[in-house]
Amino acid sequence: MVDVSQHELVPEHTVLEEDELEDVLAEYDIDRTDLPKIKRTDPALPDEAEIGDVIEIVRDSRTTDQAVVYRLVVD
Amino acid sequence: MTDVEYDVGDDVIAVVEDTELPRRLREKVYETVEKRNATLEQADEIARAVENQYLQTRIDPLDPVGTVSAQSIGEPGTQLTMNTFHYAGVAEIDVTQGLPRLIELVDARKTPDTPMMTVYLEDEYAREREKAHEVVWKIEATQILALGDVSTNVADMRVQISLNKDTLEERMITAEEVADIIEDNLGVKTVQQGTTVEFGPEEPSYRELLQLVEELRDITFKGIEEVSRVVIRREEMDDGNEEFVLYTEGSAFGDVLSIEGVDASRTTTNNIHEIHRNLGIEAAREAIIEETHNTLAEQGLDDVNVRHLMLVADMMTNRGEIESIGRHGISGSKDSVLARAAFEVTVNHLLNAAIHGEVDDLDGVTENVIVGKPIKLGTGDVDLRMGSTSGRQAD
Repeated sequence: MVDVSQHELVPEHTVLEEDELEDVLAEYDIDRTDLPKIKRTDPALPDEAEIGDVIEIVRDSRTTDQAVVYRLVVD
Repeated sequence: MTDVEYDVGDDVIAVVEDTELPRRLREKVYETVEKRNATLEQADEIARAVENQYLQTRIDPLDPVGTVSAQSIGEPGTQLTMNTFHYAGVAEIDVTQGLPRLIELVDARKTPDTPMMTVYLEDEYAREREKAHEVVWKIEATQILALGDVSTNVADMRVQISLNKDTLEERMITAEEVADIIEDNLGVKTVQQGTTVEFGPEEPSYRELLQLVEELRDITFKGIEEVSRVVIRREEMDDGNEEFVLYTEGSAFGDVLSIEGVDASRTTTNNIHEIHRNLGIEAAREAIIEETHNTLAEQGLDDVNVRHLMLVADMMTNRGEIESIGRHGISGSKDSVLARAAFEVTVNHLLNAAIHGEVDDLDGVTENVIVGKPIKLGTGDVDLRMGSTSGRQAD
C-alpha cells in the first residue's frame, strides 16, 4: 500500500489532545461540531484516530506559509 | 520560540515575535531588518508599522466574504473561453480548459471531461528512457490491434491473430499470456503456436464469430483500461537535472500510485474525486485550489486573489467529502427554505417545505431580503446604544 502521508498534496495530520482541544475551542468560541469534518475512512487520517477526535492539520499555506486547521472525525 | 534564520539580535526577535503577524510576514521583517542593519528602535518601528498595515488589511467582521468571492471569480469568468480548446497545454494531450473546466470543478463532476494524470517517476526510472518505457507499458492500455493483426477466416469459422514479435518483446508480454487472457475473457479454447493464436466459436455461427472479434478488440492485455495513451516528456527539474515525466490520457490514480517506479509523492490527476479517494479530503481541497487557479492562470486571469479560490475549496470540502456548489450541493443543503427556493426550482422547495411543515428562522441574508428585514451583514448586524455604559471606560 502506498504511504499517503508522503504525497506532497497531503499535509500533516495529527490527533489533537483533549486539553489542547479545549484551548482551541475556547479561542474560537465554538463547539467541536462547528469544526470542518473529516470522514473516518479518510486515507490521510492517522491510524489511531476515532470518531469524535479532532485532527490538527498543518498546511503549507499560500498566504501565511503555514496554517493550522482542525477537522472533526465523523462517520 | 520559533527558529529565526536571520542574523538579528534577540531583542529584535522578541519584538517581532510579539506582533500578530503571520510567519511569512515576520520572515520579511527579519529580512529587511537584517539587510538594512536596523537598530532595535527602528526594528520595533518597522514591526509595528507592518503589523498595523496587516491588521488594517484583514477582513472586517461581518464582511460578506462569500459574495465578494463570487463576484471576484465571476467577473474574470466572463472572459474565459467557452469552447474547449484541444491539444493545448502540455505534451499534445487534450485537456478541457476555460469555463467548461471551471464549471466542471465547482460542480464536482464525478469524472472530468478529459481525465489526465501527470506521472512522476523515481530514481533510475526517471533517468533512463528504457526504464521509463517499462512504466509506460504498465500504465497504457494495450489492445490486440497494438500487438498484431487480426483476421477472420469465415470458411473455417476461426479468428486468427498473428502477433508481432518485436512488439511483444517491447511490451513485455508473451504469446502464451495473450492466449491465456483471451481464454479467460472470452471463454473459448485457443490454439497458440509461436506468434499465432487461433480460436473460434464452439458451434459454427457467423454471428458469434463476429461477436468474438468485437469482444477481442475491447480486451486490455496489459496496462490500465482507463488510460488510452501515455506521452513521455523530458523535463528539467528544479535542480537543473532532467527527468522523464509521463502524461496520460485517462486517469486511474489509485492503480498508478502502486506501480513500481512511480513516484507516489508527486504524481497527480485532474480528477478531484480520485484525489479525495486516494489521498483524503485535505489533498482534495489543495487540488481544487490548484486546478481552479491553473484554469484561470491558463487564460491570463491569475490576478484573481487565491483567497477566493481557497474559500470555494474550503466550502466544497467542509463536510469531509467533496460537495458541489449549486442546487445539488451546498446551496441545496441550506437550512432555510426561502434561501433554497430563491436559488433554483422555487416551487419544488416551497411545496416540499409545506408538506413537511418546515420552519424558516430567517437567520440568513436571502430570507431577510425576501421578507424585507435588514440583513445580518456589515452594519446590519450591529446594534448601537447611546450612553448606557454607566461608568465603564471605553478602551
